[in-house]
Order: sequence, then structure tokens, then C-alpha cells
Amino acid sequence: MGISLSKLTEKTNIWPWLLLAPLGIYMLIFFVVPLAEVAIMSFTEPKVSLANYQKVLTGALYQRVFLNTFVTAAFVTLCCLLVGYPLAYLMAHSKPRTAMLILLLVTMSFWTSFLVRTYSWMVLLGNNGPLIALLQMIGVDKPPQLLFTRFSSTLAMVHILAPYMIMNIYSVMKKIDPALIRSAESLGAKGWSLFRHVYLPLTAPGIANGSVLVFVICLGFYVTPVLLGSPREQMVAGLIGHQIEEFLAFGLGSAMAMILLVVTLIILTIYHRRFGLDKLWG
Amino acid sequence: MTGMKTFLMPDRRRFLKTAGAAVTASLAAPYLVRAQEKVLYVNTWGGPWEAAAKTHLIDPFTAETGIQVKTVSPVSFAKLAQQVKTGTYEFDVTTLGGGELVRANQAGIIEKLTEPYKGGLFENGVASHAFATVMAWRKDKYKDTPKTWADFWNVEKFPGGRSLQRYASRVIPIALLADGVAVKDLYPLDVDRAFKSLDKIKPHIRVWWTAGAQSTQILRDGEIDMIGIWHGRYFEAEKAGAPVAMTWNQGEIERAYWVVAKKSPNLENAKKFVEFATSAKPLAGFSKAADYGALNPASNQFVDAADAKRMPTSPDNYKLTFEQDMSNFGIDPAELAERFEEWVAS
Repeated sequence: MGISLSKLTEKTNIWPWLLLAPLGIYMLIFFVVPLAEVAIMSFTEPKVSLANYQKVLTGALYQRVFLNTFVTAAFVTLCCLLVGYPLAYLMAHSKPRTAMLILLLVTMSFWTSFLVRTYSWMVLLGNNGPLIALLQMIGVDKPPQLLFTRFSSTLAMVHILAPYMIMNIYSVMKKIDPALIRSAESLGAKGWSLFRHVYLPLTAPGIANGSVLVFVICLGFYVTPVLLGSPREQMVAGLIGHQIEEFLAFGLGSAMAMILLVVTLIILTIYHRRFGLDKLWG
Repeated sequence: MTGMKTFLMPDRRRFLKTAGAAVTASLAAPYLVRAQEKVLYVNTWGGPWEAAAKTHLIDPFTAETGIQVKTVSPVSFAKLAQQVKTGTYEFDVTTLGGGELVRANQAGIIEKLTEPYKGGLFENGVASHAFATVMAWRKDKYKDTPKTWADFWNVEKFPGGRSLQRYASRVIPIALLADGVAVKDLYPLDVDRAFKSLDKIKPHIRVWWTAGAQSTQILRDGEIDMIGIWHGRYFEAEKAGAPVAMTWNQGEIERAYWVVAKKSPNLENAKKFVEFATSAKPLAGFSKAADYGALNPASNQFVDAADAKRMPTSPDNYKLTFEQDMSNFGIDPAELAERFEEWVAS
């Protein structure tokens, strides 16, 4: 019986590929081809050489901005995890009504345009905003500057990206079989040990998924850090836009885009080797 | 996002969108072929800019010539270049700033044009309108009136947060003026001296603004106390009732030019449009509506005294200002931008 079933699935193996074909062709035309064009431009504009890469890899500005981009993305991911995990836990383990309410709040924020959210933070954290007013009311003489700092840009980015983390972790937590927790308890695990050895590993796929998503999306951010962050902040995406739109340096911009892509892929590969992305997304 | 010009500096999000579009445009080329070659496509900034252009330039042009016009926005320098490369035209005419115009003409992506009014042609672009980067401040913060960029740099006399545009080729001349360089000695720019001058103000710059709307907002809300801002954006803050003031003194004027895309399929009509858009009356109406200063001197007769006060090009204001000199700039703007960005980040 088992053998014939597996033979059946082998026979129908072509169907999944056919079903995949429309998306595959779409991705080929609208993603792979343009990406290839960007790759080619990075070596051929303005003339065939490695000059673009040399400039990006050795220029102090580019090194600094790349480093800043990756450090920012990693830090934002960590913050999203610290904020998102407890919230997802709360959603997964409270009464359906409460869970719905939290879910609604999270998705509502998710549906709001991120520019609107960015500007809301400017209002909240500004010199004449409610937070500074509150600080002054409780007697802080010289309230700290909140807006245009790393604090404000990180806060806003975490706010914008946290829903990705929360939804991913939540969906995994919902699927955990309560029997597993009960049997762990019956075997004597409790408190931290139960969390550390049973619950956390079970939610790891959600953590990994959410982290990768947040990290990768954050790499492409630049409006929020520029509008809210300290004057020194600059992300790679902003620099790429500058080069192309202002100076028509398609080659240099493309080289930066390719390096960003390759470094991201390297990080994902290391991640994959360590944790196995395919399993997590299964 | 009311008001004029995100002129040379639309918000950053648009940059990438247009860059991406430029890349995919070459791919989708066969499907973008236009049904009617008779229609002229004009590239605009959208929003109030487009509304002003429609009322004062486009509709009268169609009424006079019978040529249909459609608009495409936002303005994208990268797309102009990509169009010529791919042979797929989304627009026939667009506007460029001085620095871009020089690069565009060097790259051979714009058509040769003839001079429509005396002194109106530069590097194959027809001078249309101008805007100024001026000094503005919060009246509720300062009793004295700052007069020059040196006052902007003087944080002892005028303490408080500052903001300038994150745009190297606009900030460098201002930094030199603040350091005591006379306008007549400004170009070619002494870049090293400018950066030394910038070092002094850097700790007080709370924001390097990047989008026009942002500059209005931080001035209006008092996030900073003194700012280098486009004059149209300043007037928005004033209109919103904020306690602000500005001076035309040492205002930095930049010009916008109409250009025709190289090998545009609508060459003749495009040239006709550029000529019309820079003729006295339409240009006066457009400049007034979009808060610019008209560059065709003949336009001044159509501007009444009250509106002239708001224009950097009206005789009273113009003599206080100075113009960016892109032909004698002294450094490659791309190179300057790289050095500036590095300096900002360090």
C-alpha cells in the first residue's frame, strides 16, 4: 500500500511544477531579467571594468554606510524579537476575544502607510510633542532630545516591522500541540526549563522566519532613518537612489545593489547551514 | 505635501521607484508604445506644480495650437537618460536643474534648442523659473534679526538648532559665504575652506532635511530654530501661521530649465511647447501659482507688486541674492556629493 502511494505521487510530480509555472515565468521576466540587467550594468557602466566595485569596496563612505545598514537591520531585528515574542505569546495564550483585540491592533498598525507612521512619530517625539510636554510636567527641566536621534529612528522602524515578527511567531505558537507542554510538565519540566528546552525550540521556526523577514526588509529602509534619525544616519538604499537619480551613475548604483544582494545572500546561506531555512519554511 | 518643488530633490522613496521603473521600462518596452503619436507628453512634479502648469502652460498651449498634452509624473532625471538609451519615450519634455542640465547636455540626452528670448538658452535648456534657498528662522526664538549666513553660523548670538538641506552643491556656497567669502569670489568653489566652515556648524545641525515638505514641517513645528529652506516652502510655513521670518539677503538662486528629450518622437511639438511655456505671460502665471520666480524678464510686466515680493527674481529681491554658477563650479558635483556625504556621516 505504502509503495503504490509513493508511486502515485511520483507520477503526479509534474503537476506542482505546472502550477508553479505562471509564477515562475512572471518572476523570470519581472525579477530575474531586470536583476541580471542590474548585474550587467554594475560591470559595464560607464565602461567595462571593475571600477564600480573597487570604488564601493574601498571608499570610506560606502564602507561606513554598508556597515551602518547591516548594524541597524540587526539591531532592529533584535528589538522586534524582544517586543514581538511576548506579545505573540499573549495573543496565542489568551481568550479568543483578547487575542482578536491584540491582533486587530497589530494589523491596524500594519495597514497604515509607513510614511504616516513615520510622521506620527515625528509629532509624538517632537519638541512640542506630548512626550516632551509630559516630561516637563513631571519636572524634567531639560528634557532630552528625542527626535532626530538613533533612538527615534530605531523606535519607528521597530514599530513598522514588528508586525512581521509577531505574525510569524504567533502562527507557530498557535500550532504547538498543548499535549507536548503537558507531557513535558508531567516529566518534571517547569518554569524556565520548560520554556528553554520545550517551548522555545518549538517556536524557533517562527523566530527564524520573522527575523529573516524583518532583517531583509530593514536592509532596504531609508526614508524612516533619514526623516527621524540622527543627521549622521544613512542607509545603502538611500545612497543607491542618490547615485542613480542625481548623478546617473547607474553602474555605481548597480554595484552597490549587487553587493547588498550578495552580502544578504551570504548571511542567509550561513543561516541556512546553521538552522535550515527549507525546514523552517516547510 | 503642498507647494512647489520637490524640485531637484524629490523624496528619497521616489528615487528608487523611478530607478526601478527605469530598469523595467526597457523590458516592457514593446507594450508602452503610445497609441497616438500626436499627443505631447510633459513630465511634471505632480500635485500643485502640475495644477499650476496645467492652468497656465498646458491648457493655453492646447487652446492655441490644438496639440493635445498629457502629463507624466514625477520628474525623473534617471528616466530621461533611460528613455534615450532604450528608445522608449514616456515623456517628450521635462524640467532640469542647472547641475543636471550640464550633465544631461554632456551625456547627449537632450535635443539642441534655439534661444527663445535673449539670454534664455544655457546648455540646450531654456531657462524657465527660479527658486532660492533662503535663510529663515523662528521669530519667537530670536529678538534680533539675523541677516547673513554668517549669522546662521553664529551660535553664540543666535543659539538654537539648525537645519540645512542634505545637498552638497547647495550647502557648499552657503558655507563659504558664512566664512566671509564675497559673492564675487565664490566660484570656482574653494571646497576645502567650505568644509572647514561646515565643521563649525555641524554640531548644531539637528536635521539635514531631504524633502521639501519635511523642511516646512520642522520650521513650522519649531523642531529647529533656523533653517536654509526653499523660498516656496518657507511661504507655506508662513501661511500656516507659524511665527517665522526670512530674508532674501544672500539667497541662493537656482534655475530650472525646460529640455526636450533627445530623439523625441514629438520633436517639433515639444520645441513649440518649450517656447510657449517660457513666453512672458504663461510663465508669469505659472511662476505666480507655483511660487517660483519667472526668468524671462518680459514676464515681470504680468506680475503685480504683491506677488513680486514673493519672487526671488523680482528686481528688488534679485539684487540681494546670488546665482549658482554651474559652469564655473570648480568641482564635479558627483565627487562633491560623495565627499559631503562622507563628511555628514563621520
